[in-house]
Amino acid sequence: MKKKVLATLLATAMVAGCLAGCGNSDGGAASTPATDEAAPAEDTAPAEDAAPAEDAAPAEDTADSADASGSPIDTLIANTTGTVTMTVWASEEDQDLTTKLLDDFKAAYPDVTFDITLGAESESTAKDTILTDVEAAADVFAFADDQINELVQAGALQEVAAHYTYDVAAENASGAVEAATVDGKLYAYPMTADNGYFMFYDSSVFTEDDVQSLEKMVEVADAAGKKIAMDISNGWYIYAFFQGAGLELTLNDDGMTNTCTWNAAGGTDVAQSILDLTASNVFVDMGDEDMATQIAEGNVVACVNGTWRAETAAEAWGDNYAATKLPTFNVAGKDCQMSSYSGYKLVGVNPHSANLGWAMLLAEFLTNEDAQTARFEARGLGPANLAAASSDAVQSNPAIAALAAQAAYATPQRVGGNFWSPAETLGQILASGNPDGTDLQELLDTTVEGITAPVE
Amino acid sequence: MKKALNTLGNYFKNFGIAFVKGDIWVKLSAVLMGAGYFARKQVINGIIMCLVEVLFAVLCIGYAAPNLAKFGTLGTVQFEQVFDPLTMTSTVNDYDNSFLILLNSIISLFIIFVFIVFYISNMKAVYRLQQKKENGEHINNFREDVRTMFNEKFHITLLTLPAIGIIIMNILPILVLVAVAFTNYDQQHMPPNALFTWVGWSNFKNLFTSSVTVTFGYSFKKVLVWTLEWAVLATFTTYIGGILMAKFINDKKTKLPKLWRTLFIIAIAVPQFVTLLLVRNFFADSGIVNTFCNSIGFTDFLKNIGLVPSNLSYIPFLTNPGWAKVMIIIINIWIGIPYQMLVATGVLMNIPEDQIESARIDGANPLQIFIKITMPYVLFVTGPSLITDFVKNINNFNVIYLLTQDVFVTSDQLLANSNAKEVDLLVTWLFRLTNEYYNYKMASVIGIIVFIICAAFTLITFTRTIKGDKEEEFQ
Repeated sequence: MKKKVLATLLATAMVAGCLAGCGNSDGGAASTPATDEAAPAEDTAPAEDAAPAEDAAPAEDTADSADASGSPIDTLIANTTGTVTMTVWASEEDQDLTTKLLDDFKAAYPDVTFDITLGAESESTAKDTILTDVEAAADVFAFADDQINELVQAGALQEVAAHYTYDVAAENASGAVEAATVDGKLYAYPMTADNGYFMFYDSSVFTEDDVQSLEKMVEVADAAGKKIAMDISNGWYIYAFFQGAGLELTLNDDGMTNTCTWNAAGGTDVAQSILDLTASNVFVDMGDEDMATQIAEGNVVACVNGTWRAETAAEAWGDNYAATKLPTFNVAGKDCQMSSYSGYKLVGVNPHSANLGWAMLLAEFLTNEDAQTARFEARGLGPANLAAASSDAVQSNPAIAALAAQAAYATPQRVGGNFWSPAETLGQILASGNPDGTDLQELLDTTVEGITAPVE
Repeated sequence: MKKALNTLGNYFKNFGIAFVKGDIWVKLSAVLMGAGYFARKQVINGIIMCLVEVLFAVLCIGYAAPNLAKFGTLGTVQFEQVFDPLTMTSTVNDYDNSFLILLNSIISLFIIFVFIVFYISNMKAVYRLQQKKENGEHINNFREDVRTMFNEKFHITLLTLPAIGIIIMNILPILVLVAVAFTNYDQQHMPPNALFTWVGWSNFKNLFTSSVTVTFGYSFKKVLVWTLEWAVLATFTTYIGGILMAKFINDKKTKLPKLWRTLFIIAIAVPQFVTLLLVRNFFADSGIVNTFCNSIGFTDFLKNIGLVPSNLSYIPFLTNPGWAKVMIIIINIWIGIPYQMLVATGVLMNIPEDQIESARIDGANPLQIFIKITMPYVLFVTGPSLITDFVKNINNFNVIYLLTQDVFVTSDQLLANSNAKEVDLLVTWLFRLTNEYYNYKMASVIGIIVFIICAAFTLITFTRTIKGDKEEEFQ
């Protein structure tokens, strides 16, 4: 008998070991089927929603322009019987604020029982998590606007076909609305307008005139023995040069592949210009993390970066901390204004949500004027909401003011996945002074081939 | 091979014999699986068999048939959704989800396969019962049958759970992965919104051909070569290093051997990714190591002898392909040696002292003893683990990914055009393709290739090293 007990124990141990072992070895493959099981739960939801709708739907009002007429909301409240269960994803840094906003949201609809789970998911990687399994993703989530195309393509965004508590398109900055629009349809609720990049500088080194031209800045920094940093080997930033010189990079109608004219006439001049700028070793290629250390150490006195580095720069440079639009740079004897990607953080609603109506109301709530003001006050994030952005506090923030100045030259990020690797490598080669001496036209041709490659 | 075919032949032959030679009850079992048991008064067994058959029929009609019907196309009805702004709800059509169809079809096929095996063995079992009855042997009742599961057939009871675990956790996902390699499952064809379908061998063709824009073939070759280089170097260096380290610590002249051993084990106890991320920061372009090298003039020295490009003010430890490869191997030595040292310590302690003693009396010096006695012994004992280490290194994701992700930018444009980097192993490339580019089909193809490489290598080396009766030599 004892033997059997031992044997059973051994068997259990073996099974446990096996399960643990297997779980590790092919987590990727195994997890997909597992999470997919969430799908059946979703299937029942539309039916449940639809049934009561039929009873209450013949509401008299023909509120096609759902403008502030509270009736759809009243219908929704009337139709909601059980607990409304929703998941919300906000970034790690946004947790406290979002928790507070969620409480306010619950308080705004006292007749409804909510069970809202708040998850942490960075805006910059939201797409990765959502696309793994759209049906299992959160009902309401925050994401950076560069992901909107892929999200729409994957059917992970509910079109903002109607608004209920505020006019999303009218109350937000036009750039933000454009960024949230795909093929003329609004797909998300703008949350912040601070995800672009611009120039930080130490005003004890540069004057306001100096920062108008990159060449002048290099000259000044060279004299001071300091460096200017930019993440040149990164597609997101190197775009500033080529776009600024009037070359094009656009997303094709298929939403996946790119059209790119960086190798057209003038392209080599831009490449040469970058080579010239970096040749002095004053204007250097540097990643975001390195930049933070170098700013703190005092080696870097100006850098192209975004609001997330504002604190680092402000701490290091103190009263001399300043920010402005990007400078011009010299292309074949002509000064060109550097362009940039404008960046917005948006809130999206998952079309597979079981409580679509509530999810849309919540998304509106998380992005309305009060919420955006609160977000600026709590975290210093620039509001996309026009009213919130016009407040004095926002206007006097140097980083946000710089972003606003750069906005005229910025374009929303609309680019297919094949852009990044080739552009990154182009930046790397140019920043390291084209070590193999490849013919610049050839270099650009290969890059463009990669960027415009069909998506296999 | 021939043996396997014979076994398979016999398997079906016995089934044929059972069916032909069986009596009416056995023949009836071909239709009603429990019939043979009822005839031998094994009523409960018979009921269970019938239940299994009914369950299978229900599964076939309710689950397998609808999925398998769409298996050929993987679905044709595209997802559509209509939103009603007044009720704030949306209606969804009855769409096909290609992935679920694929998954469910494979599970269905698997269930059908298992059922056929079960069916055949049932026929044989029923025939055996008939034979037993004819020979007047004892036929177990249900209680006795259950008891055998805890006695003679205890191994079956024991293995059931692990086997089910392996099927669910390993075999089914692998089958799905293999199937995905033959579809166009990528970002453009992502369920539930889009459908994907079969494309045959075209993904494999893409992997081995380089056209102007699709540089997969070029990248694959480069990545494969580096993967093998890395696997050989990483395995070899840590292995030798570990043995030497163990030898030094075990040496009688070494003071405080326990302290040294503990220190190395502490290195293991710290999670690898923490160490690796820290090391990555140490060796960053403006990291602490570079600052140090700069201040003592080492960077300038390297510039003078041409190891560092003159336009850099730092040593590109993890940002230049050549430097990065060397650094990765060195860092891997550093984190890999403690493991090998532990293994080697155990082995070294088990070397028969008399052999070493007699060698010493014969006048062998320590180096000779090490080469002629210690190494052959260690090699023999750790041979199989050396092979698994090699395979593990082919798939060594952590070191490469954690050290180079976000830091290393390739300057090879052709590699960049297919999202690869010089320092990528097949597995890190695969990870990037799936995780960042959702190219599931190509990732599956690479996965299959990695599997074939690892399997082939393991088979060859295992049969080589374990073949013969080498064990005798060390007795």
